[in-house]
Amino acid sequence: MTALIPDESALTAGTTVRPGRRYGFFTDTTLCIGCKACEVACKEWNALPADIPGLTGMSYDNTVDLSADTWRHVLFVEKIAPQAGGERVTTMPPFQSNWLMMSDVCKHCSPAPCLEACPTGSLFRTEFDTVVVQQDICNGCGYCVPACPFGVVDLNLSDGKAHKCTLCYDRLKGGLEPACAKSCPTDSIQFGEIDDLTERARGRVEELRGLGRDDAYLYGAPGTPGATGGIERLNAFFLLTDRPEVYNLPEHPTRPAERFAPGMAAGLAAVAGLTLAAALLFGRNGGGDGGRP
Amino acid sequence: MRGPTVTDDAAIGYYGVPPVKASPFDWKIAAYVQIGGVAGAAQVLSAVAAAAGGRRARGVVRHGRWMALAGAVLGPPFLIADLKTPTRWYNMLRIARPTSPMSVGSYILTGFGAFSALAALPAGRLSDAAQVPAALLGAGMATYTASLLSATSSPFWAEAPRSLAVQFACSSVAGAAAALSLAEQAAGRPGTAATLDAITAAAAAGELAASIASGHDHKEPAVAGALALGVAVPLACHAANRLSRRPSRTLSVIGALAALAGGALLRHAVIQAGNRSTERPRDTFRLTRPPEPARLPPRR
Repeated sequence: MTALIPDESALTAGTTVRPGRRYGFFTDTTLCIGCKACEVACKEWNALPADIPGLTGMSYDNTVDLSADTWRHVLFVEKIAPQAGGERVTTMPPFQSNWLMMSDVCKHCSPAPCLEACPTGSLFRTEFDTVVVQQDICNGCGYCVPACPFGVVDLNLSDGKAHKCTLCYDRLKGGLEPACAKSCPTDSIQFGEIDDLTERARGRVEELRGLGRDDAYLYGAPGTPGATGGIERLNAFFLLTDRPEVYNLPEHPTRPAERFAPGMAAGLAAVAGLTLAAALLFGRNGGGDGGRP
Repeated sequence: MRGPTVTDDAAIGYYGVPPVKASPFDWKIAAYVQIGGVAGAAQVLSAVAAAAGGRRARGVVRHGRWMALAGAVLGPPFLIADLKTPTRWYNMLRIARPTSPMSVGSYILTGFGAFSALAALPAGRLSDAAQVPAALLGAGMATYTASLLSATSSPFWAEAPRSLAVQFACSSVAGAAAALSLAEQAAGRPGTAATLDAITAAAAAGELAASIASGHDHKEPAVAGALALGVAVPLACHAANRLSRRPSRTLSVIGALAALAGGALLRHAVIQAGNRSTERPRDTFRLTRPPEPARLPPRR
């Protein structure tokens, strides 16, 4: 199918989408204003149902978490309430008013723990280096759900399949920028080629540090927190200004598949040891000839 | 209502929202893990009895082969029932993915079932030859389920991969020896039953050592209870029988039943403990603490 405007992403994101190149998101949390346009755009484009309406009391966050039906989630961290063991904050620096906002999303890790766990090949790496669940193959085993170090993948029990952000695979194929990035009014969510984004993000950290924000750092770019423990990089990476845990992100996630071999080796060694013991017992007792008196 | 309950964990992380998600595994997976593990270990013990047990262990060889086949037939329905789209169960064999314990396990189970079916044929050269690969895959059946749980981001499973694997392996061997011992008692052969009880005791001791090494089992009451039943009771019964001049059949049977029930409970308790551990942000952030001093810029 030909797109309505060929290479529309060149107009909206300044990048053309071509198979074989690596694409992702750079989410700059210092630019997020918490408007949730990304959440809405994602739901609309991907035809995802609404969450249960209700107020959570978690600041302006009534979305709570990424789920099978929610692929963008804006966090609101109020740092005004008394911190653990500390005083209530009474002064505010002229910067985000001690209110951190961040649009969370699937990280499209490389290597991706969900993909490495998937036994059916339903989860696969696309020609854009993103990670997508093929709905016509997934059998709902659910193993990708605990495998994900970021709690992103989720099962939808009404259709029995795993779901998560596709980085708008269908839009990329049509030369369109992903819906969330296109809708972001402050360019907190930036879409592009990974190398371009990384360069831009490093520049942004320098710029912020020049402005006195010494706490700005990248999460998920190669060699930074988040890209750890066998996970080389997150194709959707972030600029943060507080510890990762504040954004509910692990500081040092690890690749779960690396725990497979050590466990197998230890377990098989135990079986081997018990096999030897059993052979000795059978041999000595001759399978119990006479056995005990 | 999806809103989280505010707990002490609200002080760490984000309003106490779990940073990782729990697996959808429930009692059906636990049942498979127990059935598959005992079946795999039964094939291993049957092969050992065939090689080292001589003529008098022929009952063990035969029963072990049947138990292995029975487990390979009874186990998979539980796995398929746990799928959220069970009609696509065959996609489990669509690809082979060495990084996925579930993919590797699917092939271990398939191979184990096929060779166990051949090994259960009437005694002959074919069944003897098939038992060797069946027993090797049986060792995998006893172990891989633990590694499958550890290769996740659920803190309780992920923080102790080795001890969990040794625990499941030992528990499988203990359960298989217990089941075979029951069969021997039923057939009126207390001598071979005593040998099998000794194997149960050895495996239970290994399970206990692995549990202590894990460093967290005592914090989970259900896991500790399963260990008391599946380890302490068989050890006490079989030790009493060893020491007494007149071994009691009742004690042997109680020890064997306790090992089997304890093994089943252990699987269920471990799976539940792993799922629950994802709800504690503190545990996830402890698991994901960087090994070297933090590289992050200091807090303002």
